[in-house]
Amino acid sequence: MWPVTVGMTSNAEHTPGEGPRIELAKPKIELDGIGKDFVVDRNALPVLRDVDLSVHEGEFVSIIGPSGCGKSTILNIIAGLDEPTRGEVRTDGRPSARRLGAIGYMHQKDLLLPWRTVLDNAILGLELQGKPKSQSRSRALELMDSFGLKGFEKNYPALLSGGMRQRVAFLRTVLADHQVILLDEPFGALDAMTRANMQEWLLQLWESWGKTVILVTHDVEEAVLLSDRVYVLTARPGRVKMELSVDLPRPRRYEMVTEESFVKMKAGIIAALRDGNTRNWVVDDGNGIPTVAEGQP
Amino acid sequence: MREGPNTVYMEAEEPSQRVTSGVLSKNYASMVLQWAPPLALILVALGAWEGAVRLFHVARWLLPPPSSIGMELWESRSLLLRHTWVTLEEVFLGFALALVVGIALAAAIAYSRIVERAAYPFVIASQTVPIIAIAPLLLIWIGYGIWPKIIVVTLISFFPIVVNTVDGLKSADPDMLNMMRTLGARRWQLFTKVQVPSSVPFLFSGIRVGVALSVIGAVIGEWVGASAGLGYLMTRSAPQFLTDRVFASIFILSAMGITLFALAVLAERYAIPWYRREKQDKAIKGR
Ligand SMILES: Nc1ncnc2c1ncn2[C@@H]1O[C@H](COP(=O)(O)OP(=O)(O)O)[C@@H](O)[C@H]1O
Ligand SMILES: [Mg+2]
Repeated sequence: MWPVTVGMTSNAEHTPGEGPRIELAKPKIELDGIGKDFVVDRNALPVLRDVDLSVHEGEFVSIIGPSGCGKSTILNIIAGLDEPTRGEVRTDGRPSARRLGAIGYMHQKDLLLPWRTVLDNAILGLELQGKPKSQSRSRALELMDSFGLKGFEKNYPALLSGGMRQRVAFLRTVLADHQVILLDEPFGALDAMTRANMQEWLLQLWESWGKTVILVTHDVEEAVLLSDRVYVLTARPGRVKMELSVDLPRPRRYEMVTEESFVKMKAGIIAALRDGNTRNWVVDDGNGIPTVAEGQP
Repeated sequence: MREGPNTVYMEAEEPSQRVTSGVLSKNYASMVLQWAPPLALILVALGAWEGAVRLFHVARWLLPPPSSIGMELWESRSLLLRHTWVTLEEVFLGFALALVVGIALAAAIAYSRIVERAAYPFVIASQTVPIIAIAPLLLIWIGYGIWPKIIVVTLISFFPIVVNTVDGLKSADPDMLNMMRTLGARRWQLFTKVQVPSSVPFLFSGIRVGVALSVIGAVIGEWVGASAGLGYLMTRSAPQFLTDRVFASIFILSAMGITLFALAVLAERYAIPWYRREKQDKAIKGR
């Protein structure tokens, strides 16, 4: 059976009553045997292969993998910007052909519209939904402070720092008010300090707000600190190498990164990532530290 | 620790200060640097012209010195002004029509593949037909009024507007369009909220070129047949050897072209303030 799961996680063949309570509900988002080939110079470039992935309501799930393994492609498929070559995407248990526009998606780049002020960038989603502008604006203004944007409402994006631009993009995604939010390496371009601050800030926000989040990252610590579950992908063509439940208590604090169980999980993910190029299995040796074994079990 | 507004302010103000202080002190020096060489060149050229004409006793009907062109500008000012207004009217109306037709055509071409396939070849072909050959035909078809001139101006200046605007509408960042789609945007919303704003800087570079061409268009229109305007004045003055009047007309026409160009630049700054900031930002961050 591929992948081998680690820690408390139950796998795809989970039967009700066995695992955590949350597994009883139908997954909010479900990828079933997803494959994706791009055509490059008339050749098929396999990017994803047999990806099974599910996310439950209110869950925070991270996808981690080497650069170019197809992480953004997975989010594009979930968001409905792209269709898989093989397999099925289900939302609330049903195949969903019309999910484009129903799922929040914050891209790797901030993609702010340079001709709009911070405020008008933030309300873009509400505007496209046809909500009255003045109402949307006052809703956005209420949130400016907690997004660290107070006083910058009337600025154009050009002169904002990278961190602020990301927060405007994030506010835009949040205001569009979708139940599921996809985040593609939201902190990737930030320096370490800003990044740590942003992670804590996102934690607080998410814990107070309980949306379903799928986060793509290449930062192991970030994945463990923020997530309920982590999927580790192999190098291209990406498949799920490991699925890990992070059973750290909430609310999470940044200090947890030095705790023993945290370090163990981090080591496990790093081991799986290191081995991302081979077809070896990740095995749980019983003490919580997964090791890599040769060949198939 | 949560990132408070204080850290945020510091983060944001750093680059903006660099822009203003850097650009302000540089602005003054760069303005001098920008304007000094052409001004010096003009003064030297005028001085040489004046000197040569006087030194070699060149006849005034052959090549008048700058000083007598200046005198002519002053002495015939009411006559010149009357004809200037006529030409200016043709330029304005013709260019306004070019703007309307050009933008509408560009929007249709960028919005619909079918329109693009059907119309774009003709837009390009229209530029291969010499305007100077069409102008007499317009005279035959429409007569001597202001319309043939307006049409010549339109024909000559709509091309850069169409081509630039089409490029601009197509230049919209595909990632931005995808982001809009995930927010639920429809085709029309993608067009009006991303493609159209992305195209405005392109439209303005089309306007800058088009407005300069439109002055040429008006003169061509008047050469072929007119009873007023600077082009007409030139064709009337040349056979009478009123060479300084011809030069005075040329002077006014280039001043008109330069002024219109400068107005287009000003309008661009006013209409799309974000664009210059974006360019500055890219220059600073080296993106
Ligand atoms: N539209 C596309 N056409 C062709 N190849 C693509 C396209 N999108 C992505 N790819 C390729 O698919 C692979 C995975 O891309 P991506 O999902 O962006 O990776 P990641 O986000 O994990 O870094 C890369 O090799 C990339 O070049
Ligand atoms: Mg990516």
